[in-house]
Amino acid sequence: MIHVHELTKQYAGRTAVDRLSFDVEAGEIVGFLGPNGAGKSTTMRILSGYMPPTSGMAMVDGHDVFRESLEVRRKVGYMPEMAPLYHDMRVKEYLHFRAELKGLRGRDLRHRTGEVMELCAVTDVRRRVIGNLSKGFKQRVALADALIHRPKLLILDEPTNGLDPTQIRGVRELLRSLKEQHTILLSTHILHEVEQTCDRVIMIHEGKIQACDTPRNLTRSLRATSLVHVELQSATDVAKELEALPGVRKVITSKTDKGWRAYALRVESQTDIREGVLDLATAKGWRIRELHRQLPTLEDVFVELAAADSGARPFG
Amino acid sequence: MCLWNWRRRTQGRGHLDDETMRVFWTLLKKELRAFFVSPVAYIVLALVMVLGGVSFKAALSVLESAPSEGSIVTWTFHAQWFWLSYFFVFPLLTMRLFAEEKKLGTLETLFTAPVRAWQVVGAKFTAAMVLYVVIWLPSLGNFWLLDWITGGKVEIPVGALRGSYLILFAMGIFNLAMGCFASSLTSNQIVAAVISFTLSVLHFLLGVFALVVGRRLPESMVEAVHYVASVEHIRLFTQGLIDTRPLIYYASLTLLFLTLTHQVVEFRRWKL
Repeated sequence: MIHVHELTKQYAGRTAVDRLSFDVEAGEIVGFLGPNGAGKSTTMRILSGYMPPTSGMAMVDGHDVFRESLEVRRKVGYMPEMAPLYHDMRVKEYLHFRAELKGLRGRDLRHRTGEVMELCAVTDVRRRVIGNLSKGFKQRVALADALIHRPKLLILDEPTNGLDPTQIRGVRELLRSLKEQHTILLSTHILHEVEQTCDRVIMIHEGKIQACDTPRNLTRSLRATSLVHVELQSATDVAKELEALPGVRKVITSKTDKGWRAYALRVESQTDIREGVLDLATAKGWRIRELHRQLPTLEDVFVELAAADSGARPFG
Repeated sequence: MCLWNWRRRTQGRGHLDDETMRVFWTLLKKELRAFFVSPVAYIVLALVMVLGGVSFKAALSVLESAPSEGSIVTWTFHAQWFWLSYFFVFPLLTMRLFAEEKKLGTLETLFTAPVRAWQVVGAKFTAAMVLYVVIWLPSLGNFWLLDWITGGKVEIPVGALRGSYLILFAMGIFNLAMGCFASSLTSNQIVAAVISFTLSVLHFLLGVFALVVGRRLPESMVEAVHYVASVEHIRLFTQGLIDTRPLIYYASLTLLFLTLTHQVVEFRRWKL
């Protein structure tokens, strides 16, 4: 669906996107992940036909984004960051206007407008002026606009930005239900979001791809360590004994409370030492009231990748 | 037979042309709507009506006090009041057009829909032009009223009336195109208004300056000077002297500024 090859975009000497290459298959949900200014929005703007790349090539459904811009725009539903809308229009009026621009007409236009309003849960506010709506509603109106012409590809720039947790869950469920008919490329900072919704993650930092894999594989191949939390009752500090267990890199004593001691064990991610901890406790006669493993999240991968890169260039 | 053939031939391309025009209409409807839901249209309308009334009254006083060469039409469009309204109309009508979209970020949604830049520029300009025409229509009522009240005793020359509204339209579209251009340069409506006002005034003053200096210039240059002098155009047209040269002058400047606006709007596409 998307084919990007050596895509580069420069603004006044600054390289926003640096020789980016990736492909997205039809029916996939791909998450674009990266800190602010990483080049996510720029890439999405190029793919939606808003501006041309400096060099390289981007194709959407077999059409070049620059030379066949109008064709590409008919196939892409794009929702920009911050969901810009006309504040003096009413919701239904705005969607009618957008549908007409995108080539819908007559009965189909009215039917489809009703359909997307229902889908994005804005039917109740259809007669309200957009400027007076809350952020969540505005976001959903913008999403309805992106969907209205039944695009093959949806490009959503931070679709959950500024929403409350309930609304975020709503958007996530909506995206999953849309997967059947659309290919989706979305960007976000919320890593949890990507883990929940996306089939594949493309991490980009300073205009370059840092990693590209399924969320699970990414966390699995993580260089970072995982944490095991244990809370036990013993007469003395047992940090030394815990540290002696195989695979444990470091033990952090977090708190003590009436004889109960809590420890956080930094463990190599491939190993599971929970049984080892339990065996040791049984042997030594400690009582355990908590033992659980905290798997590394994408957030850890993300922070690690970003840190590794900026380590070479401080304050970069 | 010939017509039938022509229609059949155009039907092949018809699909694209229909589509292009439909997008233009959609955009135009939206722009016109935006004018009439905001107070701007009504404020400008009221302003022009009041100042139009005042300059009409001033013209009547002139005719009343002494016999005069000019007709009521000439004196109406020569009153200072007329120029006052003239300069304020264009910034007020055009400042919003592109600046607001830039500020809201809606140019991005607009240009990721299958829409061409010239359709957007054309629709915005046309909407402003329609409003401009609407704004001047009530002033025709003054002449009609005078005719009705006096029972046709005051002579209202139809030719002069036609000429006046024609030059008003020609100068109008030129200034509106300049306003569109000003609005496309910035995301701040006030800045857009100031630029547009300055350009209008500068063009006007250029004309006045040329007229003043022109008297001392050689004969061949005097003619050139008359091309830019709006005051001179108004003077001639309100007497019913319809000259095609100023009309072509304003039409070509309108095209020039619309092309510039188009280039500015498309800037992101050719800056690399």
